[in-house]
Amino acid sequence: MESMNHGIGVDIAFLLLATLAVVTAWRVFRTDSMVRASFFLLVSFIAVGVIMILLAAEYLGVAMFFMMAVEMTVMALFMVMFMMNPAGLNPMNMVHQERISIGAGVVSFLVLSAMALLAVFPDRPVSAGLDPVRSLGNEMLGDSMLIFESAGLVLLTTMIGVVVLSSHRGRYGAATEGSLPPGLESGGDPAGKPEEDEDGEDGGHHHHHH
Amino acid sequence: MIVEELVLPVLMVFFMLAAGAYTVAVLDRVIAGALGTPQAGSVWIVPLARGAWLMTQHANATEAPDWRAWRLAPALYLSLAAIGLAVVPWSGSLVATDLATSVVLWGSVEALATVVIFLHGWSANALFALIGGYRYVALGLSYILISMFVLIGVALPAESLQFTQVVASQGELWNLIRQPLGLPLFLIVGLGMTFWGPLNLADSADLAGGTAAEISGPPRLVWDVARAAMLVAFSGVATSAFLGGWLGPWLPGPLWVVIKMLAVLLVLLLLGRLLPRLAPERCVTLMWVVLLPLSFIDLVWAGVGALL
Repeated sequence: MESMNHGIGVDIAFLLLATLAVVTAWRVFRTDSMVRASFFLLVSFIAVGVIMILLAAEYLGVAMFFMMAVEMTVMALFMVMFMMNPAGLNPMNMVHQERISIGAGVVSFLVLSAMALLAVFPDRPVSAGLDPVRSLGNEMLGDSMLIFESAGLVLLTTMIGVVVLSSHRGRYGAATEGSLPPGLESGGDPAGKPEEDEDGEDGGHHHHHH
Repeated sequence: MIVEELVLPVLMVFFMLAAGAYTVAVLDRVIAGALGTPQAGSVWIVPLARGAWLMTQHANATEAPDWRAWRLAPALYLSLAAIGLAVVPWSGSLVATDLATSVVLWGSVEALATVVIFLHGWSANALFALIGGYRYVALGLSYILISMFVLIGVALPAESLQFTQVVASQGELWNLIRQPLGLPLFLIVGLGMTFWGPLNLADSADLAGGTAAEISGPPRLVWDVARAAMLVAFSGVATSAFLGGWLGPWLPGPLWVVIKMLAVLLVLLLLGRLLPRLAPERCVTLMWVVLLPLSFIDLVWAGVGALL
């Protein structure tokens, strides 16, 4: 692993990726669809992930790809489901609370820039034989592997349990009983259904229902 | 240096994309012919002729699609297949990208494929394509999970996330035997992720072609080539993860990789021709209730094996 003397290719790659990350992050707020916004954000995160690989953080960079891919897909789909915007193709405004957002953006930009320019970063070159993946694992999980793994297992079990418990209860009743909308007054006929022809069966003559 | 580190690997991957997609097209027609579906013309010429014909055709347009995403999605799917082929080692030293985390990179390819397939269906702004895209997302999550557990299983005995190390760890015993559940599960994921044969639910006939219902001409060619290339990438990864990659007697390593990849492709394409298509609801149940627990068992099996 080279420490400081990297090639010009790394610099060019960094500048291109940083530009891609900033431009796509800006497009997130300028586009008019939630699906597009999610995937612009995904491109931005992928560019950041590649920069992390350039910084020799190979595991964290690649982990960024798959985590963000799944996360953004789920986010896009849930936003479309909850926002009543059919398929996310209808134009809609992607920004709100503009003044607070602008203020928060300016403040965080200034703070982060000041940190980048003014902070004194430690200069501790790592040994050439360091395995970044293994050392990251030891750093993060060394003594607490058992706790971490147990917590992960408990969380997974909880998620599966929640899905199992809630998946049968739909918006309009249990999934196994078919879904009928509730009545307009309590106990009434399902809303939005055309009224049945009352004398169809009683009157003795048979209609053809279409 | 730049030739060795950039030009040669890129050429290698491009060659694999073209040769692999052509091999899939020929092999699939040979199998179809052997199973009794009459084939018009020579199986060697027909794929090329169809490709040339698609190149000359008009690219269909729908009403107000998301043009950029719609045109990019097939190319992106092809790029993901290329990334997959780039991490497949041909020998201990001959590998396009010997990343220390290449197993995780392959996992990312599977996750990003979900995004690309969804975008392909969504951006057409057409009903059947959209349903196909949603259907793939619903199924894709279970494919990714199964694949992750199976791949963690092969990383355990290697004590590494690098495919070259995974292959090297199979010197005594291939993972095919050491973890018998691994390869079958991984092949099912492969059929699912390329929506091939029994798991063709995203682009299926009941959706009039699904995510690809509205494409024609060059984009259709790229999409078809990308699916075939992804199947080849799957066979390459399966070869490295379960069949000992370049390891084998007498023949040189890269030749062993080619033989094993062809064997895996043959199995995948045979399954694709022999099995009927599943209903999507049943497929979700099958994935979550049967195959995902099996992948847990595979992982526990691998973990116990690594401890002993």
